[in-house]
Amino acid sequence: MSTSDSISPLRIGQTVPDFQLNAYDPVAQDFAVFDLEAQRKAGKWTILFFYPADFTFV
Amino acid sequence: MGAEVVTVSTDTEFTHLAWQRHEGELAQVKYPMGADVTGKLARQFGVYNEVTGLAHRGVFLIAPDGRLMAMEVTADNIGRNIDELMRKFKASLHVARHPKKACPSKWRDEGDQTLEPSAKIVGRVHDALSG
Repeated sequence: MSTSDSISPLRIGQTVPDFQLNAYDPVAQDFAVFDLEAQRKAGKWTILFFYPADFTFV
Repeated sequence: MGAEVVTVSTDTEFTHLAWQRHEGELAQVKYPMGADVTGKLARQFGVYNEVTGLAHRGVFLIAPDGRLMAMEVTADNIGRNIDELMRKFKASLHVARHPKKACPSKWRDEGDQTLEPSAKIVGRVHDALSG
Protein backbone atom coordinates (compact mmCIF):
# COMPACT_ATOMS: atom_id res chain seq x y z
CA MET A 1 0.00 0.00 0.00
CA SER A 2 1.47 3.35 -0.98
CA THR A 3 0.73 6.72 0.51
CA SER A 4 -1.59 7.59 -2.37
CA ASP A 5 -4.06 4.80 -1.67
CA SER A 6 -3.83 5.03 2.10
CA ILE A 7 -7.17 5.04 3.86
CA SER A 8 -8.33 7.77 6.17
CA PRO A 9 -7.48 6.90 9.77
CA LEU A 10 -10.06 5.56 12.19
CA ARG A 11 -11.85 8.07 14.33
CA ILE A 12 -13.45 7.89 17.77
CA GLY A 13 -16.68 5.90 17.80
CA GLN A 14 -15.97 4.18 14.51
CA THR A 15 -15.88 0.41 14.31
CA VAL A 16 -12.40 -1.01 13.97
CA PRO A 17 -12.35 -3.60 11.17
CA ASP A 18 -11.41 -7.03 12.49
CA PHE A 19 -7.79 -7.94 11.91
CA GLN A 20 -5.26 -10.63 12.64
CA LEU A 21 -1.68 -9.95 13.53
CA ASN A 22 1.26 -12.34 13.72
CA ALA A 23 2.73 -12.05 17.17
CA TYR A 24 5.22 -13.39 19.65
CA ASP A 25 3.65 -14.57 22.91
CA PRO A 26 6.20 -14.23 25.74
CA VAL A 27 4.07 -16.30 28.13
CA ALA A 28 3.89 -19.34 25.84
CA GLN A 29 7.33 -18.47 24.49
CA ASP A 30 5.95 -19.20 21.07
CA PHE A 31 4.58 -17.48 18.00
CA ALA A 32 0.87 -16.74 17.96
CA VAL A 33 -1.81 -14.86 16.04
CA PHE A 34 -3.69 -12.04 17.69
CA ASP A 35 -7.28 -12.09 16.41
CA LEU A 36 -9.46 -9.05 17.17
CA GLU A 37 -12.67 -10.85 16.28
CA ALA A 38 -11.94 -13.73 18.68
CA GLN A 39 -11.04 -11.20 21.34
CA ARG A 40 -14.28 -9.29 20.88
CA LYS A 41 -16.40 -12.44 20.89
CA ALA A 42 -14.84 -13.33 24.23
CA GLY A 43 -16.23 -10.02 25.52
CA LYS A 44 -12.77 -8.52 25.95
CA TRP A 45 -11.53 -4.99 25.41
CA THR A 46 -8.35 -4.48 23.45
CA ILE A 47 -5.59 -2.00 24.12
CA LEU A 48 -3.40 -1.54 21.05
CA PHE A 49 -0.07 -0.07 22.01
CA PHE A 50 2.05 1.14 19.08
CA TYR A 51 5.73 2.04 19.47
CA PRO A 52 8.46 2.76 16.92
CA ALA A 53 10.89 -0.11 17.21
CA ASP A 54 12.20 -3.05 19.23
CA PHE A 55 15.56 -2.57 20.96
CA THR A 56 14.72 1.05 21.76
CA PHE A 57 12.94 2.47 24.78
CA VAL A 58 9.17 2.11 24.67
CA MET B 1 -9.79 -6.72 34.06
CA GLY B 2 -11.31 -7.83 30.79
CA ALA B 3 -8.80 -6.13 28.54
CA GLU B 4 -5.91 -7.55 26.59
CA VAL B 5 -2.91 -5.43 25.75
CA VAL B 6 -1.21 -6.01 22.42
CA THR B 7 1.94 -4.13 21.62
CA VAL B 8 2.57 -3.38 17.97
CA SER B 9 5.59 -2.25 15.99
CA THR B 10 6.71 -2.79 12.41
CA ASP B 11 9.28 -5.34 13.58
CA THR B 12 8.73 -9.02 12.85
CA GLU B 13 7.65 -11.53 15.49
CA PHE B 14 11.16 -12.97 15.23
CA THR B 15 12.68 -9.67 16.29
CA HIS B 16 10.09 -9.42 19.09
CA LEU B 17 11.24 -12.83 20.33
CA ALA B 18 14.89 -11.85 20.24
CA TRP B 19 14.27 -8.52 21.97
CA GLN B 20 12.06 -9.98 24.69
CA ARG B 21 14.62 -12.69 25.48
CA HIS B 22 17.56 -10.27 25.43
CA GLU B 23 16.21 -7.23 27.26
CA GLY B 24 15.94 -7.78 31.00
CA GLU B 25 13.35 -5.02 31.30
CA LEU B 26 11.00 -7.21 29.27
CA ALA B 27 11.39 -10.38 31.33
CA GLN B 28 7.97 -9.90 32.93
CA VAL B 29 6.10 -9.03 29.74
CA LYS B 30 2.84 -10.96 29.56
CA TYR B 31 1.16 -9.55 26.47
CA PRO B 32 1.42 -10.60 22.85
CA MET B 33 3.84 -8.56 20.76
CA GLY B 34 2.25 -7.95 17.37
CA ALA B 35 4.18 -7.71 14.10
CA ASP B 36 2.77 -5.07 11.75
CA VAL B 37 5.55 -5.54 9.23
CA THR B 38 3.77 -3.85 6.32
CA GLY B 39 2.51 -0.99 8.52
CA LYS B 40 -1.05 -1.71 7.37
CA LEU B 41 -2.48 -1.62 10.89
CA ALA B 42 -0.50 1.49 11.86
CA ARG B 43 -1.85 3.23 8.75
CA GLN B 44 -5.42 2.33 9.69
CA PHE B 45 -4.91 4.06 13.01
CA GLY B 46 -3.07 7.00 11.49
CA VAL B 47 0.20 6.34 13.32
CA TYR B 48 2.38 5.17 10.44
CA ASN B 49 5.39 7.35 9.73
CA GLU B 50 5.88 7.16 5.96
CA VAL B 51 9.36 8.66 6.23
CA THR B 52 10.83 6.22 8.74
CA GLY B 53 8.57 3.21 8.14
CA LEU B 54 7.97 3.03 11.88
CA ALA B 55 4.89 3.51 14.03
CA HIS B 56 4.34 6.58 16.18
CA ARG B 57 3.63 6.17 19.88
CA GLY B 58 -0.12 5.65 19.80
CA VAL B 59 -2.46 3.82 22.12
CA PHE B 60 -6.00 2.81 21.19
CA LEU B 61 -8.82 1.37 23.27
CA ILE B 62 -11.27 -0.91 21.43
CA ALA B 63 -14.57 -2.03 23.00
CA PRO B 64 -15.90 -5.59 22.64
CA ASP B 65 -18.38 -4.30 20.03
CA GLY B 66 -15.42 -3.08 17.98
CA ARG B 67 -15.87 0.63 18.59
CA LEU B 68 -12.82 2.83 19.09
CA MET B 69 -13.34 4.38 22.53
CA ALA B 70 -10.11 6.27 23.26
CA MET B 71 -6.89 7.17 21.56
CA GLU B 72 -3.70 8.98 22.43
CA VAL B 73 -0.74 9.72 20.19
CA THR B 74 2.43 11.39 21.41
CA ALA B 75 5.67 12.57 19.83
CA ASP B 76 8.42 9.97 19.69
CA ASN B 77 10.27 11.29 22.70
CA ILE B 78 7.23 11.52 24.99
CA GLY B 79 6.23 8.41 26.90
CA ARG B 80 2.69 7.42 27.74
CA ASN B 81 1.29 7.12 31.22
CA ILE B 82 -0.26 3.76 32.07
CA ASP B 83 -2.31 5.33 34.90
CA GLU B 84 -4.06 7.65 32.45
CA LEU B 85 -4.64 4.77 30.07
CA MET B 86 -6.21 2.70 32.84
CA ARG B 87 -8.32 5.70 33.86
CA LYS B 88 -9.70 5.92 30.34
CA PHE B 89 -10.32 2.18 30.31
CA LYS B 90 -12.16 2.24 33.65
CA ALA B 91 -14.16 5.26 32.53
CA SER B 92 -15.09 3.47 29.31
CA LEU B 93 -16.30 0.48 31.31
CA HIS B 94 -18.29 2.79 33.59
CA VAL B 95 -20.06 4.66 30.81
CA ALA B 96 -20.70 1.37 28.98
CA ARG B 97 -22.59 0.20 32.07
CA HIS B 98 -24.19 3.60 32.69
CA PRO B 99 -24.85 5.07 29.25
CA LYS B 100 -26.42 8.28 30.60
CA LYS B 101 -23.40 9.15 32.71
CA ALA B 102 -20.18 10.93 31.83
CA CYS B 103 -16.84 10.61 33.61
CA PRO B 104 -15.29 14.06 33.96
CA SER B 105 -11.55 14.72 33.78
CA LYS B 106 -10.96 14.25 37.51
CA TRP B 107 -12.83 10.90 37.60
CA ARG B 108 -10.32 8.22 38.51
CA ASP B 109 -12.24 5.15 39.65
CA GLU B 110 -15.59 3.65 40.61
CA GLY B 111 -17.23 5.74 43.32
CA ASP B 112 -15.86 9.05 42.04
CA GLN B 113 -18.34 11.68 40.98
CA THR B 114 -19.88 11.38 37.54
CA LEU B 115 -22.05 13.80 35.60
CA GLU B 116 -25.37 13.25 33.90
CA PRO B 117 -25.33 15.57 30.88
CA SER B 118 -28.66 17.38 30.57
CA ALA B 119 -30.11 20.87 30.14
CA LYS B 120 -29.97 21.21 33.93
CA ILE B 121 -26.19 21.36 34.10
CA VAL B 122 -25.53 23.46 31.02
CA GLY B 123 -23.35 26.31 32.27
CA ARG B 124 -23.51 24.80 35.78
CA VAL B 125 -20.98 22.01 35.61
CA HIS B 126 -19.02 23.57 38.45
CA ASP B 127 -22.10 23.48 40.70
CA ALA B 128 -22.92 19.95 39.61
CA LEU B 129 -19.43 18.77 40.53
CA SER B 130 -19.30 20.55 43.87
CA GLY B 131 -22.91 19.95 44.85
